[in-house]
Amino acid sequence: MSAKRLAVRGTWQSLEWRRWRELWFSLGLVALLAWLLNGMGFFEAGRLIQGTSNLARFVQEMFPPDVRILPTIAGALLETLQMAFAGTLLGFLLSFPLGVLGSRTLFPAGVVVIVRFLIAAIRTVPSLLWAVLMVIVVGLGPLAGTLALALYTVGYLAKLYAELFEAIDPEILEAMRGVGARRRHLIRFVLWPESANAILSQLLFMLEYNVRASTVLGLVGAGGIGFYMQAYLGMMAYSRLTTVLLAVLLLVISMDVLSAWLRRRYLLHP
Amino acid sequence: MTQPWITLRSEETLTLSAPAVVVKDLWFAYREGEWILRGVDLQIPAGGFWAIMGPSGAGKTTLMRILAGLLPFSRGQVLLLGHPLRGKPEPALRRLIGYIPQQLGLVRGLTALENVLLGSLARHDGWRTALGFFPRAEIERAMALLEMLDLADRAHEKVFRLSGGERQRVAIARTLMQDPQLILADEFVSDLDLPRAAQVLALVHRLVRERGLSVILNLHELQLVQEFTDHVVILKEGRVVFESPAPDLTWPLFREIMEGEHEISSEITQELRR
Repeated sequence: MSAKRLAVRGTWQSLEWRRWRELWFSLGLVALLAWLLNGMGFFEAGRLIQGTSNLARFVQEMFPPDVRILPTIAGALLETLQMAFAGTLLGFLLSFPLGVLGSRTLFPAGVVVIVRFLIAAIRTVPSLLWAVLMVIVVGLGPLAGTLALALYTVGYLAKLYAELFEAIDPEILEAMRGVGARRRHLIRFVLWPESANAILSQLLFMLEYNVRASTVLGLVGAGGIGFYMQAYLGMMAYSRLTTVLLAVLLLVISMDVLSAWLRRRYLLHP
Repeated sequence: MTQPWITLRSEETLTLSAPAVVVKDLWFAYREGEWILRGVDLQIPAGGFWAIMGPSGAGKTTLMRILAGLLPFSRGQVLLLGHPLRGKPEPALRRLIGYIPQQLGLVRGLTALENVLLGSLARHDGWRTALGFFPRAEIERAMALLEMLDLADRAHEKVFRLSGGERQRVAIARTLMQDPQLILADEFVSDLDLPRAAQVLALVHRLVRERGLSVILNLHELQLVQEFTDHVVILKEGRVVFESPAPDLTWPLFREIMEGEHEISSEITQELRR
């Protein structure tokens, strides 16, 4: 057999082998999922049927929604929105410097490791737990919720920003060092403008996320609409709960529309 | 040959006639034992317009980055404008060296004017500029440079919206803004077609001649070398295998050097020098 044909055959065999490996890997994943669900009782038919009928009764009681409470919950809804905005912006103000300190682009490995560890530690705590901790620190109310969202935001944005800054074309940094730019100039004239689009895009994503997250912070007394959710759930006033949920849905959709518009308007840079 | 790097150490002997660049037995490796530069010797006079040629991987970019003070070298001596280069160059020396990397190193999210202004950072490295406030005189100077390079109407356009040739001119303006005495340009016209590259080089040639600057360019096209530079050096496998006035490097000779064993080229070099 000629060397060329041998090479073609080798390629075919390695391709075939890769396809089989992918197939087995996918089947393995499905098996793992089935095993996990089985452990939780997913395949016990009686339990699912019982549960479904419970759900049907619950849904029946949810309708029609009680719109008389709208004036009551309007203030709480606004508070939720304020918490989301303030929390996201405060988180952003902390994330940018932490992202700079956490990227190998400008700082030595020692600093980067410590900052990355700090960011990872912040990210480990879920937003609801941050809310509980902040209620302990500053007491009940929207300030606790805002601080919780800010900390949660830092955990994600600081990591994303650090990665963004590390991906900046090293030639630009080199050219800037060549003209005598110092670290502060590199932050202002390279890191910021080169990543502005991605920074804004991730900030908007975080804002959308925080609007959703802030609706549940009231469950632990950290302000916003969550307080009413918990109250109506506790009172089994399901038709009122429906109104709250619909109001939240409207808020979330409005945020998505606003953020999509902002992206279209400002993110034109390729 | 005299050894100017010894006499030039003393500040008093610094004159304009000091060579722009003196490189003596320069060795460099990114990884231990894998030498990219193997004992490069060069002496480039002030006001010279020199080209460095050579196949890919010959060490041209590495040499440029070392001369720009961006890469600490392992062994040898480098004198830039009469100042010895050891490790990172002093800010005062760095100011005098303009470096244009292959992809130009422009900040795409800033306007042409802002990019040119960055060339003045070495003169104004305080917090005011870090916040984006440049002295009025510098802004006027940057605008004058853009005007001279026929870019005045593009001054407030972000760099990512400019064409390849326009970006090239912004990079030149930024370098001139720095007020350098030596310009190092690493294959900065290699993305342009020949007529455009010739246009850009003609412009650079005129500007640096007016200002009496020294220039070192990495170039691929012999035609451009012959037309615009006064001296050419060919690097191969980290060594200088040929050096002559640009007109002496003919096509057949160039091809022979590029394709042949470098020992043969060395002989040719010797021959020519004789």
